[in-house]
Amino acid sequence: MLDIYAQAFATILMPQNLIAMCLGALWGLLAGALPGISTSMGVVLILSFTYTLSPMTAFVLLIGAYLGGITGGSITSILFGIPGEPSSVPTVIEGHSLAKQGRAAYAMWVYLLCSISGGLFSVGVMIVATPLIANFALRFGPAEYFALTILGLSVVSGLSGGSILKGFLSCFFGLFLATVGTDGITGEERFTFDSVVLLGGINFVVAMVGLLAVSEIMIEAEEPFKDYKGGVQYRGLRGELPPFSLFKKYWLTMIRSPIIGTIVGALPGAGATIAAFLAYGEAARTAKYEPEKFGRGAVEGLMAAECANNASTGGSMTILLSLGIPGSNTTAMLVAAFMIHGMQPGPLLLSSRPDIIYGIFVAMLLTNLLLLVIAGTAIRLFLELNRLPYSVFSAAIMILCVIGAFGLNNDVNDMFLMFAFSLIGYFMRKFGVPVAPCILALVLGDLAELSLRRALLLSEGNPLGLVSSPISAVLILAAVFSIVYPLFKKPKVLQGA
Amino acid sequence: MKKGERVFFGVCAVFFGFMFLQALGLMGKGRPGEIGSGLWPGIALGACILLSLARFLGSLWRGPKESDSPAHPAGESTVEKRKRRITVTLSALCFLAFMGLTPYLGFILATLLFIPAFAFFLGERRKTVLLVSPFLLTAIIVAVFVKFISIPFPKGVGIFASFSRLFY
Repeated sequence: MLDIYAQAFATILMPQNLIAMCLGALWGLLAGALPGISTSMGVVLILSFTYTLSPMTAFVLLIGAYLGGITGGSITSILFGIPGEPSSVPTVIEGHSLAKQGRAAYAMWVYLLCSISGGLFSVGVMIVATPLIANFALRFGPAEYFALTILGLSVVSGLSGGSILKGFLSCFFGLFLATVGTDGITGEERFTFDSVVLLGGINFVVAMVGLLAVSEIMIEAEEPFKDYKGGVQYRGLRGELPPFSLFKKYWLTMIRSPIIGTIVGALPGAGATIAAFLAYGEAARTAKYEPEKFGRGAVEGLMAAECANNASTGGSMTILLSLGIPGSNTTAMLVAAFMIHGMQPGPLLLSSRPDIIYGIFVAMLLTNLLLLVIAGTAIRLFLELNRLPYSVFSAAIMILCVIGAFGLNNDVNDMFLMFAFSLIGYFMRKFGVPVAPCILALVLGDLAELSLRRALLLSEGNPLGLVSSPISAVLILAAVFSIVYPLFKKPKVLQGA
Repeated sequence: MKKGERVFFGVCAVFFGFMFLQALGLMGKGRPGEIGSGLWPGIALGACILLSLARFLGSLWRGPKESDSPAHPAGESTVEKRKRRITVTLSALCFLAFMGLTPYLGFILATLLFIPAFAFFLGERRKTVLLVSPFLLTAIIVAVFVKFISIPFPKGVGIFASFSRLFY
């Protein structure tokens, strides 16, 4: 075991991987910090850089962007009161209040140290839990995989935002899109209308870039002309480091919040936003010191939200690497990255490509430490980047989208397919239909259909064969619960959020 | 409920209905337990039809109530909406033109033209930004994606291809 880790460390510490880690983390921080670019958008934009890279370097870059994005979302939250990510809303409440009291640098250090400690905790859990879950998942047959994909799709309730009905419409549309192309079992053409472009199916990346990134820019284009100008006085962070006694004082929050974050991050569809709100709510409920400060600059609230926020990354990565199920938009991008590099995430990957899995463990560990250094020293740069002309920035994003679509197969048709998806995404957003469930269904749809058809073949068409094993029955029950529960109950802390 | 939403969900229902008919043509049984190519997409499309119709009918039912109480002052709202629509349409057309022209003009020239045009449509009016940023951005993009990552972008045709060959 130690040999594998030693080898993984040696691989990750190679110059090209270290450079990729730094660039990924920087890009992620930038994407998270800039309003209008989400972590998932940051990851999908950087996907085009990975086509010609080795798989390990590609994942190091993407992990850097993922973790950087989650961490960077809080920079603008504290300094400007603009949540870069939905998960940063509690950070806006407490962190920005602290900034308005003239304690921005102090709040930044608290946020950074808590984010990193939360991230490191969840990586520790991931390292222990992933092989255990993956070994268990080796017993899975087609019925269990079908149940698992249904559980993965059940996140729709959590990703739907306002209307669950629209969320399901988006999800079923994604499932339909996944069937376009040649049928994997019979070889029949489905919904291709004799088009060669559609024969191989709809590529995730092309659809994702259009639905997520280009449509977002089109929605942003509707807003009045933006010219961001940061107005925050930067006085330097040195000398404003929070004392160790602060972390000692709030030790319970420092332990409880990463646990909440990791567990919630592992639940399909929950993710960083719910983790941050739950941990923040729990800290507010059990606050011993200065509970009256919650909502007006409570350091404990900031610590809880940031610890949980970053800890959710390890939880969702555990499920992705061990079961191959993406629990969020961003981890769905990572599934696409695995497929681009000829791999299928899941339990078999641990035995077929242990170098990649253990490399990802080490990369996540080191990226968290690197983020502390980069974010700590580059905050001034991020403030300056907020002064970039938004119009030119949007044009650059559009070009990156075109490169992302074209570079996949060096095919001009993919650019037009991406444009079609951007129009679909624009109208979906315009009429309140969330795009995230569609993307998730597009990623999981193929596996769900193939597993269902294989399971039915094995059971000679008996649908009860799908729930005959205890594992699949439990997974289906969990999926039903996951779909039904949000219909009746919404966590109090999320109401009105 | 807005008229546009009614149209959107109506169009969705018609589109999914058409695709559902296609899926029906794919239904067929082979070996015992083989459900054919059409069942799974049929289920997805059936659900899409039901959900689209539910939203469409729901909007018809709630329409009059909500139209009684307009959320925005009529004059300002109409002008603003028209302005927004024009901006989005122009920026989308600009993007489409960029992709359409790339195979003929080559990636570099198309990018040089796209950046200021797109920024202009988004409301950018500063001459320095419109003049300097296209060259700066194109140089960065060519350095990273053409020279470093070696993506074989379209070179264009005729004289444009000769121009592109100067760079890649």
